[in-house]
Amino acid sequence: MKERASTHATFVIERTYKASPAKVFAAFADAKQKAKWFGGPEEWGPSNHQLDFRVGGKESSSGGPPGGPVHAYNGTIWDLVENERLVISYEMHLDATRISVSLGTTEIQPNGSGSTLTYTEQGAYLDGYDDAGQREEGTRELFNQLERYLDQ
Amino acid sequence: MATTEHATFAVERDYKHAPAKVFAAWADPRAKRAWFAEGEGWEIKHFELDFREGGAESSKFRFTKGDETFGEETWFGNDTVFNEIVPNQRIIFTYSMDRNGVRFSVSLGCAEFKPQGAGTRLIFTEHAAFFEGGDGAAMREAGWRELLQKLDDHLTAAN
Repeated sequence: MKERASTHATFVIERTYKASPAKVFAAFADAKQKAKWFGGPEEWGPSNHQLDFRVGGKESSSGGPPGGPVHAYNGTIWDLVENERLVISYEMHLDATRISVSLGTTEIQPNGSGSTLTYTEQGAYLDGYDDAGQREEGTRELFNQLERYLDQ
Repeated sequence: MATTEHATFAVERDYKHAPAKVFAAWADPRAKRAWFAEGEGWEIKHFELDFREGGAESSKFRFTKGDETFGEETWFGNDTVFNEIVPNQRIIFTYSMDRNGVRFSVSLGCAEFKPQGAGTRLIFTEHAAFFEGGDGAAMREAGWRELLQKLDDHLTAAN
């Protein structure tokens, strides 16, 4: 019997963007826009991103380094407040192994003519395959990619 | 303006029953309904459990003596999806709570079952996001402590 161990952790990332809350929210809500910034490094290739943006709707994305394991993201949307809040529960798999289940809350607030985005992730990181530090680092990079997309 | 309060709590409880028996009380719809949904003063409109990864649990209930607290005909809804099931060891699920159709929390729950002598140590960890009008971490944790007591009562009566 394989020993199971769960590490529970929370991290918070706060970013400010020049774009208005409506524009930042649209970058999450519109599948075409989200596919442009929500993915792995360029060398991972296309992410097969799918998004059905409604409460109960699903989101998925997968990819990985050439010859390496496939990183698969599968999320479900649990709460939406237009331009203000988005709550997604998601699982990450490395090939067939589930490495985490997380609850991600994205909050968007007006800040001058721009926005403050606060992302809170509360997660169970499983069986030693991942930890909150690595996840926070990867998520920070996603919000950098969002900034580059919004600045275009 | 949407407001969100995040919290995490963990509740531990030791049972004299083996992990397989404690786990079964989460997996079997009749057993789960008995300790999780039934209770004096609660009216249950429906309870459904499809215990498999990707499966759902759904219940709707009201506290019949709660009109003074919640207002008349206040129905609560629980919608759960099971993210991971490792038999006799771990259950991870996401669940939301609604009051008269308005969502007031979304949580990630993780129940771990560890052998403890001939019995089981159950560790329940919840990560929660409480929305406008949500109950908050203190009430939620108290609710789970009561549920895990009811689970003990159920196991003792059934075995």
